[in-house]
Parts: sequence; structure tokens; C-alpha cells
Amino acid sequence: MITWNEFLLFSLPAVALWASGALLAWKQKRNTAILLTLAGTVVFAAFIAGLWIGLERPPLRTMGETRLWYSFFMPVAGIITYWRWRFKWVLSFSTVMSVVFVCINLFKPEIHSKALMPALQSPWFAPHVIVYMFAYAIMGAALLAALWMLYSKSSREMAMTDNLVNIGLAFITIGMLFGAVWAKDAWGHYWSWDPKETWAAATWFIYLLYVHQRHAYPLKHKAALWLLVVGFVCLQMCWWGINYLPSAQGASIHTYNLN
Amino acid sequence: MWEKPWEVKEAIAIGAGLVITGILLQFCVGAVNWSLFAFPVNVVVLVALLLLVACGYAFSNRVYVLEFLVSGSSAIASIGYAATLTVVMGLVPQSAHPSGEVFGITNMLSWWPFVLVYFWLTLIVGIVGLRHAVLLVRGKKRSLATLLSHVGLFVAIVCSTLGNADVQRLKMSCKVGSPEWRAQDEGGKVVELPLAIELHEFSIEYYPMQVVIIDNATGKTVTDSPWEMAMTKQMEYAAANVTDSVDVHYVEWHSVGATSAAYVEAVNKADGKSRQGWISCGSFAFPYHGLKLDDCHSAVMPEREPKRFASSVSVYTKAGETFSDTILVNKPLNVDGWKIYQLSYDEALGRWSDVSIFELVKDPWLPAVYCGIALMLAGAVLLFLNSGKKGVEQR
Repeated sequence: MITWNEFLLFSLPAVALWASGALLAWKQKRNTAILLTLAGTVVFAAFIAGLWIGLERPPLRTMGETRLWYSFFMPVAGIITYWRWRFKWVLSFSTVMSVVFVCINLFKPEIHSKALMPALQSPWFAPHVIVYMFAYAIMGAALLAALWMLYSKSSREMAMTDNLVNIGLAFITIGMLFGAVWAKDAWGHYWSWDPKETWAAATWFIYLLYVHQRHAYPLKHKAALWLLVVGFVCLQMCWWGINYLPSAQGASIHTYNLN
Repeated sequence: MWEKPWEVKEAIAIGAGLVITGILLQFCVGAVNWSLFAFPVNVVVLVALLLLVACGYAFSNRVYVLEFLVSGSSAIASIGYAATLTVVMGLVPQSAHPSGEVFGITNMLSWWPFVLVYFWLTLIVGIVGLRHAVLLVRGKKRSLATLLSHVGLFVAIVCSTLGNADVQRLKMSCKVGSPEWRAQDEGGKVVELPLAIELHEFSIEYYPMQVVIIDNATGKTVTDSPWEMAMTKQMEYAAANVTDSVDVHYVEWHSVGATSAAYVEAVNKADGKSRQGWISCGSFAFPYHGLKLDDCHSAVMPEREPKRFASSVSVYTKAGETFSDTILVNKPLNVDGWKIYQLSYDEALGRWSDVSIFELVKDPWLPAVYCGIALMLAGAVLLFLNSGKKGVEQR
């Protein structure tokens, strides 16, 4: 039976595989790099699957569990981006991002409860959270590309960033709408302006703003890139920030991990 | 400024004008009263809005203000204002019935500037949707994704906002064996329904019993104690036998008020000492019962975590139909346009509650909102499928 105690056994080889994949990408060994990163992802996925069986529920409830999915989707997004656009730095970025979340789970573990409250027992639960986590990972990659361009004052990666944001926005939209349909069954209304929903809407608007700005003013890169920074801040607020926000205390029905 | 062609600057100025107008309106007429939009007013407003969208599209070639309204600059500014006000809403605690706050931002949904900005955004979304519908008819296939996402968003926002005043949200408390057809609305007014619900049984299923070790002084859970625990006997329904006051023990007992109990055996890894005895989480009839291990530690059973709330009911409709079903959390029952939700129960009695509280929701505009959501979903899927083309084309 796989529990959090076995996390190191899986995450260490996964990180090693990701890191060697990232290294080989710099050396232009494209296929080996993709294969190694993929292998690392499979090892990590095995842990998630084992934990799923061990907990007898999808591991999507606590912050630690959602970080697990983020660590998983970062390399997945990295492989897709690298395979499609061949930027050799992409796998390094995705590896670093992923490792950060692995480390948080290693050094700041939370109490991992086995029980899943009835409001979360729904067929919508897994798709809602997984789609969002994938979107978060993609937006994380877009942020890094944006920061790189702001720092290096180049705009070489603009087309890739546009594509990343389009993919991320599509998934954010799908995740949000899945959430709405689920909320109708669980809470009686599809949109209640709960603090988490309010921040989800704000995040969605910022990324919409990016898409429209790029469409209307394709040459004004800098403003668009800063929007990705703002968007990512909103996204963090939505993901975990509201747990610490005075306006959400006691008002949000989304703060399961605090009960 | 204000030299044609207008750009984002001018659009931001227009947005500022809307916000100022909104603030003035807020002071003059007070917050937006959404309940005024109940049927048939909302249908009239809907028709007016659709006409406005149609006119906006029809004259956008001739009137510069309208042409500008659906330009990228105007879209950017409206999304920017909507995003900003939504962030403010996320930062300021919200209340449906604010007291003592005159400005209005603690009830953002009824704050005039917020409503006007969202109206501006919705109008643009509607006109752009219509424009892409026309483009698609004229054979521009790439308009489909834009069309779906804009029309979907327009339908979802308009129908959910206008339909909100028609939503009926009632609370019904049912006691086992007595059919109930009266419910209370949010203001506490009794409403008679065209259907009746009879509760046969309310039940709570729990996750398996747990044993945790707590610090005797603080009562907090300890994870690194030297004690190793094992539950050797478990009773789902038990009663405390207190004839021998020194050593309480538990027996199987299936009547109202039964608690859960377990017999635990603990071994101290450090010195090999062992302790055993009964623990129980207690119920309304029996107190909770822990087992003291040493001066610092005790073994206790935390309150059971519910896995499933279920009400087995029969529903009788005015048309004479009768059917039986089970209402669960996340699985509401649909009857004649009503969705019946498991909301609560008599919490003092826990699993022995003979009362189940339901929420009944009727939202006549729901199918339209779902249509909007479906269109948006299709738009998002197309956005995903179309992304990536750009980079490949440029390469």
C-alpha cells in the first residue's frame, strides 16, 4: 500500500530522470531528453496512482495533494512545449518548477486525511481539479517565458507564450465551467460569488485581457507580458491565497483543507 | 485625446465615466434592486437588450461611437475594469445585507459601477458574437471559436443575471412519517408547494473509526508519541455499561442514541509497557470516553467523519404521481422543475435524527444558462485545438 511515507522513494528517481532529461535537452539530444522526462513523469504518476488506491479516493483534496498534480503536470506541459517548439530551456524550467513543489511536499507535509466529505464525492471532482491543475501548470510555464522576455528584453518567445496562454485559458475556462455544473448539484447554484469563485473570475478576466491585448496590439509586448505576471498572482490568490485572506475567512465553502 | 482613431486611452476614459455615473447613481437611487427584475420585467429587459445588440451591430459601420464600442481597445478597457472591480470584490468582505457602509462595495453585485461595467462588457460580447455569427454565415470558418465563446458567455451572463430574480429557494423540514408540502423562503415566509415529500428514513454513513493520541495538557493530536495503537474490537452501535464504575466497558446496542466504541491495545515502544481499554466518540446519549496511556498521553476516538447523508423519501405531485427515491449530497432529486437537495438534519441527534432538511430550488432560466455554458465549453475546446497553429505557421 502506497502512502505519503513512500513519497521520497518515487519523487527522488522522478526528479533525477527529469533533471537528466533537462540536461540532455541543452545538449540537443532531443529524443533521449523527451524519453527521460517521460519516464520521470511515469514514475511520478505511479506514486499518484498508488496514493489514489491507498487513500481510497482521488488525491485532490488537500493542498499537498493538489501540489502533487502540479508537480506532475509541469513536466507534461514541458514535454508538449519542447516537442512542439523545441526550446531547449523549457525542460529545465518545468523541472525546476516541479522540484519546488516536490520539495514543499517533502519539507512541509500536512496532515493527510483519508476521509472525503460528502460534498466532494462527485464525478465532477476529479475533472474539475485536474483540468485546473493542468491549466495552472501551463500558466506557470507562460509566466516563466514572460519573465524571461521581460528580463532579456527580447520577444522571441512571444508566439509560444501566446499558444501557452491560449491552451491555459481553454483549460481554465473548462475547469471553471465544470465547477459551475458541479456546484449546481452540490450547493444548489452554479455561481455564488464565493471568494474562490470571485478570484477565479478575476484570474479568468486577466488572461482574457492578455488574449485581447495580443489580438488588438500585437506589437505592444511589454504590457501583455506584465499581464501574465498579474494573472499569475491572481491565480495564486485563487489557489491558496484566499485561505489567508480576511475577506474569505468563514465565507468560503471552498476551504476544505482547513476543517 | 479624443482625436480619431480612438484607442485604449479613450476607452479607459469611457470606463471612468461609467464608474463615476455609477457612483452618482448609487448616491441618488441607492443600490441596484435586482428583485425588480422578476418575471415579466426580465423578459422585457432581455428583448430590449437583444434589440440593443442588433442595433449596435447594424449601425457599427455608420456611427463612430458604436464602431469604437466593439473595437479591441474598448474590449480591453472593459475587461480591465471588470477584472479590477472583481479583484476589489475579492478583497473586500461581501455581504448581501451590508450595514453601515454607504459606499456600496461590500455588496458589489448591487453596486452601480460594477453593474454598469459588466453591462458594458456584456454589450460588447453580444455585438462581437453577432458579428462573428454573420462572418461565419458568410463563410469565414475561423470565426466559429470566437462566435461560440462570445455567444456562450453572453447567454450565460444575461440569463443568469436576469433569471436570478425568478429563482425560488426554499427550505423544507421533513419529519419521518409525516408528509410535508410547506416550505419557507429566505425571508421565513411559508410557501405551499404543488408537491409533498414524505421522509421514510434519514441516515448517515461514517468513515471507519479512528484512534488518535492526544496530549493530555493541550488536547492536541500528537503524531510522535512512543505509543503504538491497535483496535482489536470495534462496535458500530454500542452502549456504555457503567455498572462497574472503575472499568467502563461497551456492549452491542442498536437503539436510538447508540455510540461507536472500540477496544484498543497500546504498547509503549520505549519501555515495553502496555495499556488497554475502551474508547468511544460519544453520542447525544453517551459521553465520549478516552483511555489514559501515561501522564502526557491519552488515546481517544475523534468524532466520526460522515461519508454519506441520505434521505429515503416518497414524493407526491399535484398531478397524482407518486415515486420513491433517495436524496444524497451531490445527488439532488428533480421533480417538476424543482431540484431537491439534502441540506441538513437534526445535528444534535446526529445519525439518529428523524428530521431531514431539504433545500428546494426552482430556476426557470437554468436551461438557458446551461446552453450558454455548453457553447462556452465548445468555444474553449476549439480554442485549445486551434492553439499551436500560430507558432507552426510562423516557423
